[in-house]
Amino acid sequence: MSFLMDNTEKARYLLLGNEAIARGALEAGVNVASGYPGTPSSEIIESLSKIAKDANIYVEWSTNEKVAMEVAAAASFAGLRSMCVMKQNGVNVGSDFLLHLAGSGTRGGMVIVPCEDPGALSSVNEGESRYFAKLFEIPLLEPGDFQEVKDMTKWAFELSEKINNFVMLRSVTRFSHASGNVTYGDIIKRDINAQFKYDGFILDPMEGLPISAPVEYKHSEQQKKLKQAAEIFEKSPFNTYTGVKKPELLVITSSACNLYCKEAIQLLGAEDKVGLLKLGTTWPLPQGLLKTHLSETKKVLIVEEVLPFMEENIKVVALEMAGEIGNKIFYGKNDNTLPKVGELNPDIVTQALSKILNLKYEQRSDEYIKKAQNIVLTKAPHRELTFCPGCPHRSSYWSIHNALKLDGRKGFVCGDIGCYSLAFLPCGFSTLKTLHSMGSGTGLASGFGKLKQFGFAQSVLAVCGDSTFFHTAMPALVNAVHHKSDFTLIILDNSGTAMTGFQPHPGLKSNAMGEEVPSIDIAKICVAMGAKVRVQDPFDLENTQKQLLDLMEYKEGVKVMILRQICALSPEKKAKKKYEMSIDENKCIGENCGCNRLCTRIFRCPGLEWDAKANVARIDDVICRGCGVCADICPGKAINKKEAA
Amino acid sequence: MGFLGPNELTENVIQKNLCIGCGACMNLCPYFRSYRCKTAMLFPCTVSEGRCASFCPKIEVDLDYLSKQYFGNLFGASSLGHNISIMISQKGKKIKNHTFQAGGTVSALISFALKKKYISSAILTDREGLLPIPRIITKDEDVFKCASTKYAAAPTLSALNTAIGKGHSQIGVVGTPCQTTAIAQMRTTQSTNKDPVGMVIGLFCTWALDYTQLEPFISQQIETNKILKFDILPPPAEIMEIYTTDGKKHEISLDKIRKFIPATCSYCADMTSEFSDISVGVLEGYPDKNTLIIRSEKGKMLVDEAEKEGYIIVDEIPEKSLEHLKTAARQKRKRALLKAKEDGLLNATEDGKFSCIKLNSLSIEKITA
Repeated sequence: MSFLMDNTEKARYLLLGNEAIARGALEAGVNVASGYPGTPSSEIIESLSKIAKDANIYVEWSTNEKVAMEVAAAASFAGLRSMCVMKQNGVNVGSDFLLHLAGSGTRGGMVIVPCEDPGALSSVNEGESRYFAKLFEIPLLEPGDFQEVKDMTKWAFELSEKINNFVMLRSVTRFSHASGNVTYGDIIKRDINAQFKYDGFILDPMEGLPISAPVEYKHSEQQKKLKQAAEIFEKSPFNTYTGVKKPELLVITSSACNLYCKEAIQLLGAEDKVGLLKLGTTWPLPQGLLKTHLSETKKVLIVEEVLPFMEENIKVVALEMAGEIGNKIFYGKNDNTLPKVGELNPDIVTQALSKILNLKYEQRSDEYIKKAQNIVLTKAPHRELTFCPGCPHRSSYWSIHNALKLDGRKGFVCGDIGCYSLAFLPCGFSTLKTLHSMGSGTGLASGFGKLKQFGFAQSVLAVCGDSTFFHTAMPALVNAVHHKSDFTLIILDNSGTAMTGFQPHPGLKSNAMGEEVPSIDIAKICVAMGAKVRVQDPFDLENTQKQLLDLMEYKEGVKVMILRQICALSPEKKAKKKYEMSIDENKCIGENCGCNRLCTRIFRCPGLEWDAKANVARIDDVICRGCGVCADICPGKAINKKEAA
Repeated sequence: MGFLGPNELTENVIQKNLCIGCGACMNLCPYFRSYRCKTAMLFPCTVSEGRCASFCPKIEVDLDYLSKQYFGNLFGASSLGHNISIMISQKGKKIKNHTFQAGGTVSALISFALKKKYISSAILTDREGLLPIPRIITKDEDVFKCASTKYAAAPTLSALNTAIGKGHSQIGVVGTPCQTTAIAQMRTTQSTNKDPVGMVIGLFCTWALDYTQLEPFISQQIETNKILKFDILPPPAEIMEIYTTDGKKHEISLDKIRKFIPATCSYCADMTSEFSDISVGVLEGYPDKNTLIIRSEKGKMLVDEAEKEGYIIVDEIPEKSLEHLKTAARQKRKRALLKAKEDGLLNATEDGKFSCIKLNSLSIEKITA
């Protein structure tokens, strides 16, 4: 049995934050869990999918976050407990549904879990979903340690049922992708027969219609429930205070910053000067609790990542209470005590505290920093962001790049979200010139492809992955075909949601729980939409380039090129080499006229290395995945491929 | 020559629109490629001296050096270049009827040379629709597929580089003045003693046309895959005729296509492909005859043998026709040198500036007088 299912009393495990969330949901007796893969959130659904059968839960990787939310909401309407998981910007994708769901209310406990990425460690944004909680007028919970990650997840379901609305639980990379000790609680057994009741009194939250109309009435009911949540929060054990009764400085924090604050206070030995109010319930704010603590101090520092969400809300509360508690001096993001971008860390918080309290903080000497930087720069091998050895994207972009150059119309690629986003860098031959949200490459291309009447004469390409195609590229493609936009969409189909760890998507034959499901044919969809479609193996460089140039020649309409080659790291392919590669040193042209190190200077697969002493290229046998593509780019025919045994 | 690399080539030829797309820099390395007759540099190359730049007929072409290498003297002021004899010609009885541009002399000579193994392969230019396609031809009967003028500037020499790369020797090439100039530069900068080129037949050329502009213009009015032959009528007609497989003749005013002449043609001082063994062109007023200029002993031998065996028929050139030809060639030469001089592309001396043409001052003076 999985460690996540252990029901021994007070069992204690070192859990990944995402596993703690999964355990919390299990303890709450979750019935349905849905989500769309996105770092740092993916392990929650993955953990649950592995135990779906044992735990009798339904787990789904949905087509996109909006659908995932709808799937979870349906379970709630049928009286079940459900959870929906995504990365921060996934909330944006489903926000329209969430606005209406907040208005209609929910039945069975429903928890939305955005795992956010301050500092954009694995994102192209450091977006905030906390503002959505305020906008939608629903409760926001932010665990402050690993135990709380599990406990608050469990509690979130109860809270949801108390107020008949969904609850947002926000994790961050430093919880989701770090590990901490968690003591288990009981797994609740809930014996529920799912049924969607709709024939009660129309306005009854449990048996009427879950619709946001009549809007004003439902809205005021929702606000009453939110007030109820705020009252519960006043006594919540997840809001804690540590420190002297009348601190010189009150630090208010939440989430992972709780850990940084604790460390900073300890580091400075400032326990007698600083009080730490850690809030687990950050919207709506527990005003009474705040009043109690604000009354005891003059100076307040608010520590949070990224934007001053709590800071601004607390200031409003403090202003309203100013008559009773007096004016306070606030430190935080607005006065630049803390940065409004990136992750925080104990060092940043320590510096802020030392500045405010005028405490001496022995930072490492400049000399030490210089020395450390020097070691990093000279001793650590330089590793740039690049595609893996044997990655089909390198081959795809090679052909895309060459086709664009030959086409000669200053063409470019509208990018999308996936490993292939890296193509704005040299690993993708710098072909990618726009990069925004999921599916927006196709949407942008649809727009560029309609600018001819204004003198626009560049060739337009868009890329999207197979999972991204289903996620949000499809509506953009429909738009493009319908409006006779002129561009070529290249679908980089590597048979899985590769970047986040090979989660299944509608194009595949099995689902999150390993069940056999019908796969949906991308090529057929595109043909049905009315696009001109070609399917090609990107490892065949010559034909890929030829076909692509051919498609780009068609003057009107949307062209689709599906480049199909399984990811080099996919479970099916892993560790299997198709070819054994070798280099004929006598044929290698090296740096001379006729080659100038094409393979190691331009193509730059990590499986190839340049031996400067011998003036020849070499294969790194350990790293090479044996895709064989470099043999086809070598102008000297010095790279040989032999079918692997 | 030999001191320039891909950076100079890209900056001074490709980016300044001086590239005619002859193909001399292509298929030598992975960087220069031709697509729809346009030269593209796929990736930056950092070598300081490259064959690409030393072969290019548009940068630092030292006419005196080439002339010395080929003909033993400085480049003179004569309008038709070094020659042994000038005559008129047409295909002989041994050659079946076909759609030839004029007298069919080039096809006849090349097929003869292949048959008699004077050359082992021929680099010719085929056509698909309006798109010129460089070919490596090894069978004499395949020569005729490539007959007749293409007018669009073609990357013919890419096929020569491919053939050399494959180890061909005794290669025959048919090319325009820019292409034959490039071949001359290739042959004088070869690192090995073995010259892979066995015979160069140059074509007369006043200007070429830019395929990427010509194609959309022509394909609006004519199905390009039905085109049999193009012809430009002698002045003052100002008309291009296009014959199609349905037996029709389409007339297009030269006015409308002159704008498709690449700017780089205005710097070309060579009308008759002077660095060749034999040069062939039309003979004004005689649509089924050619003008033939024999420039080397090897060329003379080929013409003599071909005539002896009935592959071509030769005759004396009428005095009037020769004068016409000389005038036209002289005028092109003069225009080009004046233009190059005006634009700083003749004997450039400034640091970092490169010439299109380099030539002794005495000849410049005579030509531009």
